[in-house]
Amino acid sequence: MVGGYNQAQNNGIELMRHVVVVADMIVGAKNDLVVTHALGSCLGLMVYDPVAKIGGLLHAMLPLSKINKQKAKENPFMFVDTGVPVLFKEIYAAGGQKQRLIVKAAGCGNPLGKNEMFKIGQRNYTLLKKLLWKNGILLESEDVGGTDSRTVYFDLSSGIVKISSCGKESFL
Amino acid sequence: MKPNKVNEIMDKVDSFPSIPGAAAKLMALLDNTDSSAEQIEKALKYDAGLTANILKLSNSAYFGMMTKIGSVKQAVVVLGFKKLKELVLISCIGSLLNKQVLGYDLQMGELWRHSIAVSVAAEALVAELKISDSEDILTAALLHDVGKVVMGEFVQKDMEEIWSVVSKGISFEAAEEMVLGMNHAAIGANILKSWLFPKHIVDAVRWHHNPEEAPEHSVIIDVIHVANILSLMIGIGLGSEGLNYQLIPSVTERLGLGTSNLESVASRTLQAVNELSGLLECG
Repeated sequence: MVGGYNQAQNNGIELMRHVVVVADMIVGAKNDLVVTHALGSCLGLMVYDPVAKIGGLLHAMLPLSKINKQKAKENPFMFVDTGVPVLFKEIYAAGGQKQRLIVKAAGCGNPLGKNEMFKIGQRNYTLLKKLLWKNGILLESEDVGGTDSRTVYFDLSSGIVKISSCGKESFL
Repeated sequence: MKPNKVNEIMDKVDSFPSIPGAAAKLMALLDNTDSSAEQIEKALKYDAGLTANILKLSNSAYFGMMTKIGSVKQAVVVLGFKKLKELVLISCIGSLLNKQVLGYDLQMGELWRHSIAVSVAAEALVAELKISDSEDILTAALLHDVGKVVMGEFVQKDMEEIWSVVSKGISFEAAEEMVLGMNHAAIGANILKSWLFPKHIVDAVRWHHNPEEAPEHSVIIDVIHVANILSLMIGIGLGSEGLNYQLIPSVTERLGLGTSNLESVASRTLQAVNELSGLLECG
C-alpha cells in the first residue's frame, strides 16, 4: 500500500489511516481508513465489497487521458478514463465481486461563473457516469458539484463514507 | 465597509516581516546588471542554507540545466541574473508562506504548496500559449496570496458573516471586502509595496481575482488569475472557502486559452509541484 498513514480509532478497533493524494489510488481491506483531502474539481470514487470487506479510493484529476498520453502511461490515476478501470481491476484482483460492489462518488466541483472551459469537475462526473453505465454499474450515492472543498474518510471495516466540508460532516 | 478593521489589518501589514536580509541584498545585486559574479558569491558566503537551496533548485529537473551546477559562480553564468533572482526568492520566501493559515483552514505547508503550484501552472500557461512578454510572472505567482497570511486571523473572527455573504453566490474575496473592508489580494499588494516591489508585480497580486478592475490589462494578471483557479480546482491549497471564486470569461478570451490548453497545463503541473516542494521541504 502507498500513501501517508497514521492510526485512527473506530469502535475500539485501531484503523490504519492511508492518505490518497491527487492522482493516486489505494485499495485496502478491513482495518484501513482511506482518506483523501481537498477534492475540488477532482473526482473521488469509492468502491466497496461488503462481503469481502475490501475497498478502494481513486482521486482522479482530469477526464480524458488523450490530453497527455505520456502522463497517463506514467500515472493512470490522473485521469478518469484510465483510473476508473484500474480501480475496478484491482478490486476484482483483491477478491471483490462485481454484483456486490457499492460505488459512491464525491467531488467534481466547479468554480463560480458560467465559463464552460473551467467545468472540469462536471466533465469528470459526466465521464464517470458514462463509464459506469457502459459497464452496468450504478452509483449508490454521490456528493458532487457545487463549490465546496470535500475531504473523504472511507472506513473499509464498515464501508462507511464520511464527507467533511466547510467544517460540516455528512455520510454518503 | 468597516474602517476600524482596515486600520487593524494595515497595522498588521506594517509589522509584517520583510524578505530575509541576505536574500534582499542578493536580489538588489541581481537587479543591477553591473554586479559581478564575485559580488554575488560574497553576498551568499555566510548563508549556507540559501546557497544550498539555490544549488538544489539549479540542478532540479524543473529548472534543470544540461550541465551540473556546483557553485554559485557557475549558477550566475549558466542561469543568468533573472533566473537566479527567481531562485533566490523561491529559496527564501518559504519561511514566510510555509505556515498554517487560519480562516482559510490551510494546514502548515499548504499555502506554500499552492504558491508553488500557481508559479508552475503560470509558467506552463506561458509555454503552452507561447506568451513572450512574461517577465516576473514567477515572482508574482509565488507571492500572489501572501496577503492570506495576514488576513487569516481576520477571516477566522468574522467567518460567519463572510459565509452568509458567500452563501448568496458572491465570491469569497468580494465577501472579505464587504465584511472586513479589504480582501486578501489588496493586503498582499500592500505588503509587496512595502517591500518596494515593482508596480507590475504589485498590480498582478492586487488584481489576481479581479483582472477586469485593474487600471490596465496585463498578461501577468490574466495568467495568474487562471493559474490560481486551476491550482485550487486540482486541490492544491484549496481551503475552507472552496471554489467560491469567479473565473472571468474575458481573461480566457484575451489569452486565447482553450479547454485542451487548460487540461494539458493541469496534467503537467502536479509532478513539478511535488518535485519542487519536496526539494524545498527542509530548506
